[in-house]
Amino acid sequence: MKRFSIPPPVAALILAIVLFLLSGFLPNSYGSDVKVALSQATNILRLSVFLGVIAAGQTLVIISGFEGIDLSAGSIVTLTAILTYVMVKGENNMVLLAIFVSLVVGAFIGLLNGAGITFLKISPFVMTLGMSGVVTGAIIILNHGNVSGKVAPIMTRLIARPISPRIPIPGAIVIWLIFGVLMWLLLERTTFGKNLFAIGVNRVTAKLSGVNVTGMNLATYSLAGLLAGFGGFLLVGNTGVVLIQLGQPFLFPSIAAVAVGGTLLSGGKGSYWGSMAGAIVLTLITSLLTTMQMPDSVRRMVLGGTLLILISIYGRQQALRQ
Amino acid sequence: MKRHLTWEFLMVRYPAFFPLILLVLALAINLFLQPNMFDRETLNSNMRVFLPLILLAVGQAIVLLGGGIDISVGGVVSIINTILATRVGLDGSPEKMWQFVMISLLVGALAGAINGFFIAYLRLQPIITTYATSFLYAGLALFILPNPGGGIPAEIANLYRTSTPLGLPLAFYVTAILLLVWSYVSSTRYGKYLFAVGGKATAAYETAVPVTRVQFSIYIISGFMAALAGIALTMLSGSGNAEIGGQMTLNSITAVVIGGNAFSGGIGGVAGPVMGAMTLSLIQNIISFAHINTWWETLAKAMIIVLALAVPGIINLIRRRRA
Amino acid sequence: MAKSLSARNIVKHYGGVVALSDGNLDVHTGEVVALIGANGSGKSTMSKVINGVVVLDAGQLLLDDKPVNFSSPQAAKNMGIATVFQELSLIPQMTVAENIWLTREPMTGFGTVNRSAIKEKTEQLLSLFRGTYKTELRPDDTVGSLPPDEKQLIEILKAISFNPWMVILDEATASLDSRQVERLFELIGDWKGTDKAIVFISHRMEEIFRIADKYSVLRNGKTVGAGDMKDINDKELVKLMIEKESVFSFSRADSKNDKKDKPICLEVKDLQTDSLHGVSFSVHEGELVGIGGLRGQGQRDLLLSLFGDIPYSGVISIFGNAIKLRHPRDAMKRGLALIPGDRAREGLLYIRSILENLILPSWAQYGFPLRIGKAKKDAEQAGASLNLKMAGLAEPVSSLSGGNAQKVVLGKWLMRRPRLLLLDDPTKGVDVGTKAEFYTLLTRLCSEGKTILFYSSTDEELVGMCDRVLVLYDGIIRTELSGASLTKENLIAASLGASNEGAV
Repeated sequence: MKRFSIPPPVAALILAIVLFLLSGFLPNSYGSDVKVALSQATNILRLSVFLGVIAAGQTLVIISGFEGIDLSAGSIVTLTAILTYVMVKGENNMVLLAIFVSLVVGAFIGLLNGAGITFLKISPFVMTLGMSGVVTGAIIILNHGNVSGKVAPIMTRLIARPISPRIPIPGAIVIWLIFGVLMWLLLERTTFGKNLFAIGVNRVTAKLSGVNVTGMNLATYSLAGLLAGFGGFLLVGNTGVVLIQLGQPFLFPSIAAVAVGGTLLSGGKGSYWGSMAGAIVLTLITSLLTTMQMPDSVRRMVLGGTLLILISIYGRQQALRQ
Repeated sequence: MKRHLTWEFLMVRYPAFFPLILLVLALAINLFLQPNMFDRETLNSNMRVFLPLILLAVGQAIVLLGGGIDISVGGVVSIINTILATRVGLDGSPEKMWQFVMISLLVGALAGAINGFFIAYLRLQPIITTYATSFLYAGLALFILPNPGGGIPAEIANLYRTSTPLGLPLAFYVTAILLLVWSYVSSTRYGKYLFAVGGKATAAYETAVPVTRVQFSIYIISGFMAALAGIALTMLSGSGNAEIGGQMTLNSITAVVIGGNAFSGGIGGVAGPVMGAMTLSLIQNIISFAHINTWWETLAKAMIIVLALAVPGIINLIRRRRA
Repeated sequence: MAKSLSARNIVKHYGGVVALSDGNLDVHTGEVVALIGANGSGKSTMSKVINGVVVLDAGQLLLDDKPVNFSSPQAAKNMGIATVFQELSLIPQMTVAENIWLTREPMTGFGTVNRSAIKEKTEQLLSLFRGTYKTELRPDDTVGSLPPDEKQLIEILKAISFNPWMVILDEATASLDSRQVERLFELIGDWKGTDKAIVFISHRMEEIFRIADKYSVLRNGKTVGAGDMKDINDKELVKLMIEKESVFSFSRADSKNDKKDKPICLEVKDLQTDSLHGVSFSVHEGELVGIGGLRGQGQRDLLLSLFGDIPYSGVISIFGNAIKLRHPRDAMKRGLALIPGDRAREGLLYIRSILENLILPSWAQYGFPLRIGKAKKDAEQAGASLNLKMAGLAEPVSSLSGGNAQKVVLGKWLMRRPRLLLLDDPTKGVDVGTKAEFYTLLTRLCSEGKTILFYSSTDEELVGMCDRVLVLYDGIIRTELSGASLTKENLIAASLGASNEGAV
């Protein structure tokens, strides 16, 4: 019996569109001006990109099951954003090296997470929480109060600006779309993806079917770290400045985005399209509340309430009595 | 099958064994760096700071034992703090303070009941549910008290800060009472239910354990303990700040896991987490006494915590290699 | 006091799947009723209806001819109905004593659990099966560390600990060895005498005929027959269960040729693990070699170490090459396949699609990006060749009945065209119809030149199917039976360790 025939990613996307249309009636919103509405929609999408990319790694570890979660994503984002900022120093020709370093550093931290979880049997929640503290400590040392650096013009050009003067779509959105397709390929059209779902459902079956569960676990956490590292690179390209708390505010929303997108938090089932839709919904709600000039307190409560309603709709677990 | 005093046996049967070693180690290092640690004054000033986290860790320990997790406890602490700071005020009467202490406990239990309702009755995932309510609660605290301020009467705060009946800190008695209550509860039928639900909820259900009610109850306990922690923290600080509880949630979870409780439920107790909370606080002390460069403090603390989490795993790994 | 329980016209759906469409059952004190049916016929659902675990969609339960409604397992329990579950209802982290008395702990005056009383009462219960335990079972042992058969015994003790008038045994004998089954049957005999009613669910015909007084047969969720055991024989029972009369035979004597001239496919020298103490043997290509013995004598370790799943010492050679197997992949590369008996835990990904389950071991062959179209075609083919009944490849495996789910497990390995198959009790809990298909398949695979190592807990299967049988006892090969010496009597004697020495 299927109570909800609409798949969660589609449901989340519909919700986002409805919310956006409704927001036209709010004071301080776009009203009936289509041009303003479009630019506002574009802006919200652009803001969703960073949450969306950070939620990608989260999607992978959550699908991998066994209470998989990455609480170090926020601090990795901050770390690689700062590294990029410091390394690039406004020079275009340093950008590629900065991307490379961001990815490698992210992947390395992820690998440590994976090693702790796989070999030392520390639960993912606690392991990545501890790692988050370590990375934050490293950031403080690296930062030493303040850092000097600058984002390269090419990064701003590619990430924050429209792709061409006539097409007012920021580069970040295009990057995200390509990224989304790559994530779909990874999950649905590679052996890695198929094995990922398998270990998320049942690790004994997976191992007896020849899946290298240990390797998969290490690879998944490394990949999650790598994707968070990429998120940090993108984020600094958009903000142009770094602060010590740059990535942390994205951490829990990244988990929420995955949940809203219909990925099973217990693992083994889900999609990145869902997480993308979830990221849009969450960013939209936050920005609507900002537009309405709600105080921080109300914004938090509305966000919490919405999340509660969304997961009540399709986050229910199986009942004990059937 | 012979019964040896194996490491696994110790870890499963006496989950507080490893946290005890950690605590003794932390105490020894702390004593080395701060030789007057066991003086009445120093002991009291340490224990009163430790108590809020201990209280929170006890609540979190029970939630984890029952197979859940509560990420909203920090938000509850903040709510209680802002209620006391705004409703009692710096010049409020002691009667008013105690009245609001009672109200706070009710509020805490209510916040827990909301979590429990969604998790036990609507069957939502604990981690994401309490994450959502943590926004609700933190937002509510900020709504009650948008900017830091307010407070409670100094005489009440001092009562908490300076009372040392029979030469021992007040916090010491509170902790002792908690441990006594737990040693009773854990041997009641409810205690067995707690382990059963946390161990394997479906099996517990088939055995006619009231699973839903037990799940509901653990969040009420956690909310209640968070309220106690909020009261203690407010008495300690004497003032109001809506962000005061924010950092405490993750610390409470770390304390419980260092305390030897299984993250997946069904294994552990409360003594371990209490020791875990004390160890965590002692690490903070050690770092400030060790005169480490300020920049390195966060990293040093985090490294020690990760190490403490990793040691049981490393020991198991070495043992398996040898076997 | 005579009591009775009747179920009338019970209907139960799980989602879109009908588990019971017209379930009926009558049980009276002093009798053993066998609830019989193929896999997916609704036996387990029926037992869950009687003990209040599931909510009825329609139908009625009558206790002493008065309608009752069990709102929870507790309600059924309060009425004196106990169940021994197939999926164990034990909490692995808790002790034997805590598990048995959970919710009914003897209390002290202070509201705490009376530990000495609980221990004493547990010891009394444990003594019912004394002499059949493999470990030194004590009340304060943690259940998670016990072998499966002892967990099952604890489950039985737990059910009878509150002195119910009715006991439902749902496949309770499936993981027990013959001594334990023997003891259980003695106890059932006692219970009958003390005015208890027993509902006995089993796939083993022989046990049903030994113990049951009455039978009730389910087919596709419908009760199709009920009556006294003395009025029916096994052929008729099987006919009721499977509609078409396709009574299977175990024999494949026609193809039992001597294969000693064929090359050696597998050679094992001094294999040791935790429960294997030096096993050596060799298997020729195309042979079907059985592994017998009481449950838990190292059979599982033997298969798992051959498949590289657990660490071992000793030498394993496949087609003459000595190799060290560190992971199932190493074994798979050399053409091995392991079909586990516990398909839910070891063989399947329940919430994933049939397609993904079938292709799981083979994805690497489909390149990058994965050629899904080809995978689907291959999976269709594999499904068709096994006569797999499904709504579509995209449906989750959880939508399949037990027998069909087992075919998915088989199919996913046959698709890889293995040369050596390791079978770990593959017919455990599989219905008669699927079993028959399975035997035909084994015969065909052997004639195609595949080599099979076959562990079974059913002696008839080993005697009927295998070229020879290695009997394991306490981690070593005690006896090898082949040709004329391969009889059920010899097999049982060898399983028990011949002179029965060393048995506790």
